[in-house]
Amino acid sequence: MSEFDSLLQGMNLILTPGHIGLMVIGVLLGILVGVLPGLGAPNGVALLLPLTFTMSPVSAIILLSCMYWGALFGGSITSILFNIPGEPSSVATTFDGYPMARDGRAAEALTAAFSSALIGALAGVLLLTFLSTRIAEFAMTFSSPEFFAVYLLAFCTFIGMSKNPPLKTVVAMMIGFAMAAVGMDTVSGNLRLTFDQPMLMTGISFEVAVIGLFGIGEILCTVEEGLVFRGEHARITPMVILRTWAKLPRYWFTIVRSTVVGCWMGVTPGGPTAASFMSYSIARRFSKNRDNFGKGELEGVIAPETADHAAGTSALLPMLTLGIPGSATAAVMLGGLMIWGLHPGPTLFVEQHDFVWGLIASMYLGNVVSLLVVLATVPLFASILRIPFSIIAPIIIMICAIGAYSVHNSMFDVVLMLGFGALGYLFKKLGYPIAPLVLAAVLGDKAEDAFRQSMLFSDGQLGIFWSNPLVGSLTTAALLMLFWPLISGGIRTVFGWRNRHSAKPKTL
Amino acid sequence: MSNSSDSKSLVGTRWVELGLGLFTLLIGVVVMFGSVEQGIGWGDAGPEPGYFPFYIGLLLGSASLANAVLTLIRWKPLSVSFVSRTEFKQVLSVFIPIALFVCAMPLTGIYVASAAFIAWFMWRDKVRAKPYGKLMIGAVSLGAVTASFLIFDLWFKVPLDAGPMGDWIAMAGRSLK
Repeated sequence: MSEFDSLLQGMNLILTPGHIGLMVIGVLLGILVGVLPGLGAPNGVALLLPLTFTMSPVSAIILLSCMYWGALFGGSITSILFNIPGEPSSVATTFDGYPMARDGRAAEALTAAFSSALIGALAGVLLLTFLSTRIAEFAMTFSSPEFFAVYLLAFCTFIGMSKNPPLKTVVAMMIGFAMAAVGMDTVSGNLRLTFDQPMLMTGISFEVAVIGLFGIGEILCTVEEGLVFRGEHARITPMVILRTWAKLPRYWFTIVRSTVVGCWMGVTPGGPTAASFMSYSIARRFSKNRDNFGKGELEGVIAPETADHAAGTSALLPMLTLGIPGSATAAVMLGGLMIWGLHPGPTLFVEQHDFVWGLIASMYLGNVVSLLVVLATVPLFASILRIPFSIIAPIIIMICAIGAYSVHNSMFDVVLMLGFGALGYLFKKLGYPIAPLVLAAVLGDKAEDAFRQSMLFSDGQLGIFWSNPLVGSLTTAALLMLFWPLISGGIRTVFGWRNRHSAKPKTL
Repeated sequence: MSNSSDSKSLVGTRWVELGLGLFTLLIGVVVMFGSVEQGIGWGDAGPEPGYFPFYIGLLLGSASLANAVLTLIRWKPLSVSFVSRTEFKQVLSVFIPIALFVCAMPLTGIYVASAAFIAWFMWRDKVRAKPYGKLMIGAVSLGAVTASFLIFDLWFKVPLDAGPMGDWIAMAGRSLK
C-alpha cells in the first residue's frame, strides 16, 4: 500500500467530530501549558497521560500530539509579548520577537511566527509521511545488537552534541537509567534496587520525574528570578495577517534552510531547542539585514520558529520507526505508547497500521487547527499571563501534585515529585541537562533488554557490536559522536594551527 | 535578577557543585551496591539481573567523581555566588509551603489540602496594592478544587484520594440512600 493510500485511510479515520473536538481541546490545553510558566510540553503531556488510559490509543495520541503542537505555538506567544520563553525551544524567538512587539509590531511578529511554524511543522510531517515506512521496513531487519547500537547512537549523540558539559550529561543520563532499573527486572522477574522498600516495588515512573523536574523545578527557578510580567498588547486583525503573509515569500530561503536544520536536529536527538538556536545563528550570519538582528528583524523570528516546529514534528519519526524519541516530549509520548500496550518500533507500522496513519494524518490537520486556534485566541492567552503569580502558582503546583498522584494513585509519588523538583532546580542552575534523564528513564528497560539479548547471543563478547557492517557502523558512529567534542577540538587545533601560519605573513 | 547585586551571597557555586557531585556519587554507589546484591556476573540464563545496572552505577559514580574533582580544580573561579540570601528566601517561601502541602495530602486528602494551599498562597500575598478579598480567595480555591474533582474523578474516572473528609461524605451519601 502506498503512503498516499495509507494517509487517506488515516484521514478517514480521524475526520470525525469527536477527533476534531479532541484536537481543539488538545491544542487549547497545549497553548495553555505553553503560556504558563512552570508548565511546558513535556510535563503537560505527562500530566495528561493518566487521563488517556480510558481512551482508544488513536484518540489518546491525537490529544497528546495536539497538545504538543499547541505548546510549541503557545511558547512563541510569551516569547514575543512578554520576553519570557514559555518553552526552552522558544528562547531564540525572544531575541527579535520581543523587540518587534515593543515597536508595536507584535501582531506582525506573532503572525510571522505562527505561519512559519506551520510551514516548518508541515515539512516535518511530510518527511514523516514519506520516510517512516521505509525506515521502519529497514529497521525490521534489526535484531538486538542493532537496536542496542541505535540506542547507543542516540545516547552518545546527546553527550557529544549537548551544549552542557559532557560529564554532567552523563550523570543526568545515568540517573535516568538507574531509575528505569528500579523495581521488577523484566527478564528474571527479580526485584532490583528496591532495598526491601514496598513503595519502590512498582519502580520510579518517568512521569513523576518529568512533572517534578520540569514543573516544580521551573516554578522554583521562576520564583528566584522574581518574575514580573510586563507584556505588550497585541490584537491580530485579518489585515495584519494578510500583510504579513505577503511578506513571507521574501524569506523563502530562510524558511527552507531553517526547515532543513529543524528536520535534521529533530531526527537526530538534538531536539527543538538546539534546532531553533542553530537556525537563528545561521540566519544572523548569512542575512543581508545582519545588523538589524536583535533589534526586531522579521527574519530573526521566522528562522527559529520554522526550525523549532520542524524539529518538533520530525522528532516523532525516530520515535515511531525505531522507538527512539528525538525530544523530551516525544520521550514522554513514547512512554504513553508503552502504557497503552503498543510497542514503539518498526513492528508498529505493521501491527498498528491505523494508529500510525491516524497519528500522521492528525499531524497535518492538528497543525492547521493549531494555527487557526492560536491566531484567534492570542488576546485570551495573553490575558491569562496577566493573572497574578500568587493565583497561578498554587494552581499549577496543585495540578502537578494531582498529576503525580494519579500515575499510580500513590502519595509516595507526590513526595518523589517534590524531591525531583528540588533536583530540577539544582540541575537547571548548575547546567545539568534534564532531557537525557527523561530519555534514559523511558528507554532504560528497552536498552537493557537489547543489551542483555545481544550478550546472550555472543556469550558476553562485546565484539557482537561489530559483527556485521550495519551494527559495526552504527556502533562506530555512536563512539564518534561520544568523542565528538574531542575530535572536533582536535580538528580545530590542526586547522587553527595551519590558519594561523597562513595568516601570519599577511599581518606582517 | 535585579536584587542579586544588593544582597549578600548565601553560598558559593563551588559548594553546591561539590555537594551535588557527591550526592550523585552516593546514588551511583547505592546502585552498584544494590546490583551486587542481585549478582552482577554470568548466571545459568546469561547475564544476572545486576549485570546492566552495575555498570550504570559505575558510570554514574565515576562521572560524579570526575565532576567533583573538576569542581576542586576550578575552586577559585567557581567562587561566584550560587544564590543570594533574598533569592533563596523567595525560593524557600515557595518550597516549604509545597513541602507542607505534600505532607498534608495523605492526612487530609488531596482536595482539602489543595484548597487550603491555594487559599494560603493568595492570602499571603496581602502586601500587594490590592489584597484579595475573602470572597475572591474562597472562590478561586474552591473553584480549582471543584474543577479538578469534575475533570479527574467524574469525567476521566481517575479517583483522587479524598482523605477522611471524602470518606465521611461518601458515608453520609450512602446512609441517605
